[in-house]
Amino acid sequence: MTTKCKKPKWLRLVPLLAVLAVVAVACGEDDDDAAPTTTAAPATTAAPTTTAAPTTTAAPEPVPEPPRTQGPGGEEAVPSSEVTLTDEEIAEVQAGGYTAALLWHTSGAFTDAVSQGARDAFAELGVEVVAETNANFDAAQQANDVETVMAQDPDIIISLAIGPDAGAEAFRPAVDAGVQLVFLSNVPQGYVHGQDYVGIVTDDLAAMGITAADLLADALGGEGEVGYIFHDAAYYVTNQRDQAFKAWIEINYPGIEIVAEQGLADPAAAEEIASAMLTRNPDLDGIYAPWSAGPADGVLAALRAAGASDVALVTMDLDTNVSLDLVEGGNVVGIAADEAYNLGRTMAIEGAYGLLGKPAPAFAVVPAIGVTADNIVEGYRQSLVTDPPQEVLDAIG
Amino acid sequence: MTGPASPVALEVEGLCKSFRAVQALDHVSLSLHYGRVTALLGDNGAGKSTLVKCISGVYAPDGGEVRVDGAVRVIGSPEMARSLGIETVHQTLAVIDPLDVVENLFLNREHTRGGRLGAWLGVLDKKRMRSESGEILGRLDIRIPSLRRPMSALSGGQRQAVAIGRAAAWGQQIVLLDEPAAALGVEQAARVLDLIRSLRDSGVAVLLITHNMDRVTEVCDRAVVLRQGRKTAEVDVADVSKDDLVAYITGARTGDLS
Amino acid sequence: MTGDTAAAGPLPAAARQWLARRRRDAGLRPYVVYMAAVLIFGLFAVILRDDGFLTATNLLNIGRQAAPIAVMAVGMTFALASAEIDLSIGSVAALSSLVAAEAVGDYGFVAGAAAALAVGAGIGLINGAITVKVRIPSFLVTLGMLGIVSGIARNMNNLQSLPIRNDTFLAVFGAGSVGPISSLLIWTVVAGLVGHLVLHHLRWGRHVLSVGADRGAAAALGINTDRIRITALMTSAAAASFAGVLLAGRLAIGRHDLGENLLLTVIAAVVIGGTNLFGGRASVVGAIVGSVVMAMLNNGLILMGLRVADQLIARGVIIILAVALSMREQKET
Repeated sequence: MTTKCKKPKWLRLVPLLAVLAVVAVACGEDDDDAAPTTTAAPATTAAPTTTAAPTTTAAPEPVPEPPRTQGPGGEEAVPSSEVTLTDEEIAEVQAGGYTAALLWHTSGAFTDAVSQGARDAFAELGVEVVAETNANFDAAQQANDVETVMAQDPDIIISLAIGPDAGAEAFRPAVDAGVQLVFLSNVPQGYVHGQDYVGIVTDDLAAMGITAADLLADALGGEGEVGYIFHDAAYYVTNQRDQAFKAWIEINYPGIEIVAEQGLADPAAAEEIASAMLTRNPDLDGIYAPWSAGPADGVLAALRAAGASDVALVTMDLDTNVSLDLVEGGNVVGIAADEAYNLGRTMAIEGAYGLLGKPAPAFAVVPAIGVTADNIVEGYRQSLVTDPPQEVLDAIG
Repeated sequence: MTGPASPVALEVEGLCKSFRAVQALDHVSLSLHYGRVTALLGDNGAGKSTLVKCISGVYAPDGGEVRVDGAVRVIGSPEMARSLGIETVHQTLAVIDPLDVVENLFLNREHTRGGRLGAWLGVLDKKRMRSESGEILGRLDIRIPSLRRPMSALSGGQRQAVAIGRAAAWGQQIVLLDEPAAALGVEQAARVLDLIRSLRDSGVAVLLITHNMDRVTEVCDRAVVLRQGRKTAEVDVADVSKDDLVAYITGARTGDLS
Repeated sequence: MTGDTAAAGPLPAAARQWLARRRRDAGLRPYVVYMAAVLIFGLFAVILRDDGFLTATNLLNIGRQAAPIAVMAVGMTFALASAEIDLSIGSVAALSSLVAAEAVGDYGFVAGAAAALAVGAGIGLINGAITVKVRIPSFLVTLGMLGIVSGIARNMNNLQSLPIRNDTFLAVFGAGSVGPISSLLIWTVVAGLVGHLVLHHLRWGRHVLSVGADRGAAAALGINTDRIRITALMTSAAAASFAGVLLAGRLAIGRHDLGENLLLTVIAAVVIGGTNLFGGRASVVGAIVGSVVMAMLNNGLILMGLRVADQLIARGVIIILAVALSMREQKET
């Protein structure tokens, strides 16, 4: 009896070991083709330079060119400053009595700022905003939102399409009804510029990655070992930013070596990931976290717990906690941000392009901002068109 | 047998209970006397278990009265029944498998220690409960191999014995037994009857539901027969034969409804 | 140890007797979790010997990361013991981290923790009251509550991280330590100790188990089963709140998604620890060890340098193996 009950348990060890071994091996193989797969995943075509730097095997010599942001279909980027309307065009739109709907993917400081930019621009254009929705990153919810909003018959819809594939179906009713569609960052699969949609507006994602790399390199004096935590999901925005950061470090800063790489899917797991990274690489000088609210918070907590006050942290997007650490002289040395408000304005103006039948650039980008302790107030105003949160202002004194 | 001198412990008068369209109890009256065993007989669905559940606070009757020691009581919950000294052994036994024998004997009657704070928190006095369990079971001559075994490790007869022991321990006045010896072997059933006798001898009023006429004649003083929710007979067991009882149950005849 | 004993079997007589007794009473199930813990620890210690798995810092990390899981697991143990389940614990922890962050800033550290616990107990009360009075399975009630609470959390600070700058709060609930022992470890031990004592030595704990094992029988014995079920759900939600406080202390922020994804981890920890998913059997100590197993898995798989997708697969496989083991034992008894 005793042997009988003892034996199977030890036998269980065999598959357990086998499974772990298989997984470990599979992962080892994976590493080599991981980067190319990731680059290809977001339906996309990152800049050729980005693709050229898939592994940690030293910087690719032949293309010493910074990564550039390209549209999801390889479109060349046009600066948002070139998207403008003449007075006559404005008057024409104002006379039209048009309506618009804003279909967001989530809510938060970023979306709020984009939304505010769009609303302000629409107000100037005499376009009434009849609906605003938040799909909470749920593609099915977004499809419902489109159907719901179509009942109000808007002339313009501006949105971030969740998932290029699902988005294609979700926005079909709007396309069929001839609504002027302007997309943020991404475009549904198979949509034709100028026919199905007016244009895409996005952050200059590559510029954000480059900015983050520059901020980290400045803090490290161009030398050191760096840990790279990237967003491990096929998500165009973060993939482009992450890859640009990595590529720019490799291209432009030979003194800085990326010694640890770890993907992150659940923002809440960042602390565990960063702790493990510090365990394996006790000599890290800096860490890159893919965005602030969640991932950078976790990294910050891990750094504090490890007493690693000299490890520099850079990340993307302004958020209270990292901003506070930045101004208090903690681990955060810089934050790359975007002009979210400007994004919304540009989207609204492109919507007007559509109404006027004026050809809009397929892919417009708003510039990136590098925020440090010295320019944080301006950074907030430029990015989110608000002052920093009270806690941050208090800390500045 | 014991005659009218024995005082009444519990009286039920005109008790009614229906479930939707079904009248499970239709103006049923009966009385239980201290130191006497009353059999509650009837076919399946006659209303026996419903009557027990009305007295033990599981069901609220639709009408009628329950008097305990002459005072009218509305028994709104099992807890109230227990606090009036009415203990019940249900068909399902109501023992808790993962708890051990001691815990089952004292469930919801736990001793606490640590003074008032301990009582408020419910800090269990395991030692005291264990030693009292030994006494309770010893008094009733119930033998359980280990008091610290979970109920799930006990045999059917042992589980039944614990359930009856619990009722005996707390039912100072009235004990209701719903088929306590069903599904037991001959020897175990005999032990249950012994338990019932010792309850009776210590002055407890016992109500016994059973289908086994041998048991009725062996331990019961009175027998009340229910049929389709109505009381159809109430007799002194000494006055009738087993066949008479069966006839009452099947409705072949009705009896003394004094 | 030779001769007769060896011939009789590979184990000494005393061990065989012990095993036989265990099998007769509750099976080996309660010990599966310890075996799993030792097994996984040993495995990682070998595979990751050069990757710092065995360093003091890393072991401490595992302990700290297990703390919120463990605290939630203790609460969940009581919910499951009463044959209820609480799916809202992840979002309750998240909301509590925000409430704590908010209250700490305004009223100090005691108020921060107290406010969070009050919110948790309140949510648990609502969960319990609806479950019991409206007679909806707690599975559905708490599923709905999960959505409501995470919605409220999302609205509270507009998805931003709310920094906590109260040093006492951070020391007591997060980064602090007593001597070399992290305060998070101390909270884990406290949660386990309190939970174990409540389950085994308080009337309420025994009643929770009774209600979970056989609600009808418990009711027939006069136990107020409604009250027990409501308080069990309050306990799980309040424990989740406290886990939220610990998460807030560890990360020095309140955030709408702190701990939100821990629900399944917690359920796995509790079940591996020997608690029945459907009531009537519970082990607090098992839940604590189960939590450590989950944290260890998480840590080890990251240290192995696995990609996220592979981590998920490996973790899933190991959890299924562990649960299968504990279920198998259960069937045999």
